[in-house]
Amino acid sequence: MQEVKILGIETSCDETAASIVKNGKDIMSNVVNSQIKIHQAFGGVVPEVASRRHIENIALVVDTAFKEAGLSYEDIDAVAVTNRPGLIGALLVGVSFAKGFAYGLNKPLIAVNHLYGHIYANFLEHSDIRFPAVCLVVSGGHTSLLVMKGTEEYELIGETLDDAAGEAFDKVARFMNLGYPGGPAIQKAAEKGQAGKYSLPRVFLDRDDFDFSFSGLKTAAMNLWNKLNRKGEADVYDMAAEFQAALVEVLAEKTVRAAKKYNAQSVMLAGGVAANSELRRVVKQKADKLGLPLYYPSLKLCTDNAAMIAGSAYHRYLKQDFAPLNLNAYATMSIL
Amino acid sequence: MQLVVENAAKMEELGEKLAGLLKSQDIVYLTGDLGVGKTTLVRGIARGLGYEGKVTSPTFTLMNIYEGKFPIFHFDFYRLDEESELKDLGLEDYLGKEGIALVEWAKGSSLFLPEEALFINITLVDDDYEKGRLVSFKACGKKYEEKLKELKNLAGFSR
Repeated sequence: MQEVKILGIETSCDETAASIVKNGKDIMSNVVNSQIKIHQAFGGVVPEVASRRHIENIALVVDTAFKEAGLSYEDIDAVAVTNRPGLIGALLVGVSFAKGFAYGLNKPLIAVNHLYGHIYANFLEHSDIRFPAVCLVVSGGHTSLLVMKGTEEYELIGETLDDAAGEAFDKVARFMNLGYPGGPAIQKAAEKGQAGKYSLPRVFLDRDDFDFSFSGLKTAAMNLWNKLNRKGEADVYDMAAEFQAALVEVLAEKTVRAAKKYNAQSVMLAGGVAANSELRRVVKQKADKLGLPLYYPSLKLCTDNAAMIAGSAYHRYLKQDFAPLNLNAYATMSIL
Repeated sequence: MQLVVENAAKMEELGEKLAGLLKSQDIVYLTGDLGVGKTTLVRGIARGLGYEGKVTSPTFTLMNIYEGKFPIFHFDFYRLDEESELKDLGLEDYLGKEGIALVEWAKGSSLFLPEEALFINITLVDDDYEKGRLVSFKACGKKYEEKLKELKNLAGFSR
């Protein structure tokens, strides 16, 4: 069998990442220029959003990806890059770099949608996923439900109408002084508390569509937190537990409802919030009841990375579905 | 100039009215705490400008673009802390160009943000999220002062 090694480049948001993946499966290197320490040093949300930062990082990150894989530039077969959705300035750094790299080496270029990359992280680690499958992509910037009929065939069936789930985690955590990033901070606090002592709404659970809304839950949580503090009755652990439970319940229930409606054979989670252990637990519980297997990527493949980009480009490579060298970057949230 | 808005639906309505006064190259800064309704007001403005698609929070992506009567650049600087980060965003590519800029969390003055703009600050009524919102308007520059006068007639300001 022919070996296909693809370099993946990802710069759609805060992370500068590069990875080399063989045959859409074997991760030879996976380098992420994580800025989480810098965020924490500033005591809050200070992202390295600047495209300038990506420019400073990218050559080193790509070079490290080659070194760790033990390969030279000539050894790769194609260059894959995230070209949507994201921050234009940030995306353009990756896209421009990838174009130059591909042109210089005379290798084909493959454009990858960031959200599809997140989904594909599951296929990097699991080979027994059966279709149709329902996938919940949930992160700081996205909350989307998709039905997948095959590895590359997918349909968006619902998404958030306002805030993404990860964003709600971050903002409520900041409001409660729990720190950043909000997801892990709330999960940790929630472990010491009990959901149900306070009451927050399960937004949109009464609707039979697959859209989400977390702005109202965020506001309700902040309102309740203010009131409890005024009465001197605020318990940070119980509050974190209830907030997490309210958010997770809606995500999990809608995912499983979608699985039922579309006769899914598998349920998948993807994106940074898929790292949340309570979300994994509740979705698993509900999927078990339907006798459906649940899949999610390991922690380092949940958050933004380039292995998912390099991996997901493999099938496109086989089909010779290449991008032209005038490839552009797009901010749009459109998943397809 | 201030106005009490009772609920989210009314906030969108206010946005739609406001949209009628906005022209290409206009800039609106929106400030106010988490959950007061900045994005809701932006949604109303976008609707008023003929954009029917989703208006979601750009906190993570920093900017959304909607295609209305003209391009609508929806910024969110919640995650930005430093002046230099604003500059690195390449804001000058959007502000004051074809299209309008709606900027959430434009904290304080900045070297990189034009001074002349419409400033909207939203606060809670009685510090209670379940009550209405107090929306305060301030204009900087003659063009925006004119708009505020027009808005006053349209929106029926009580105070």
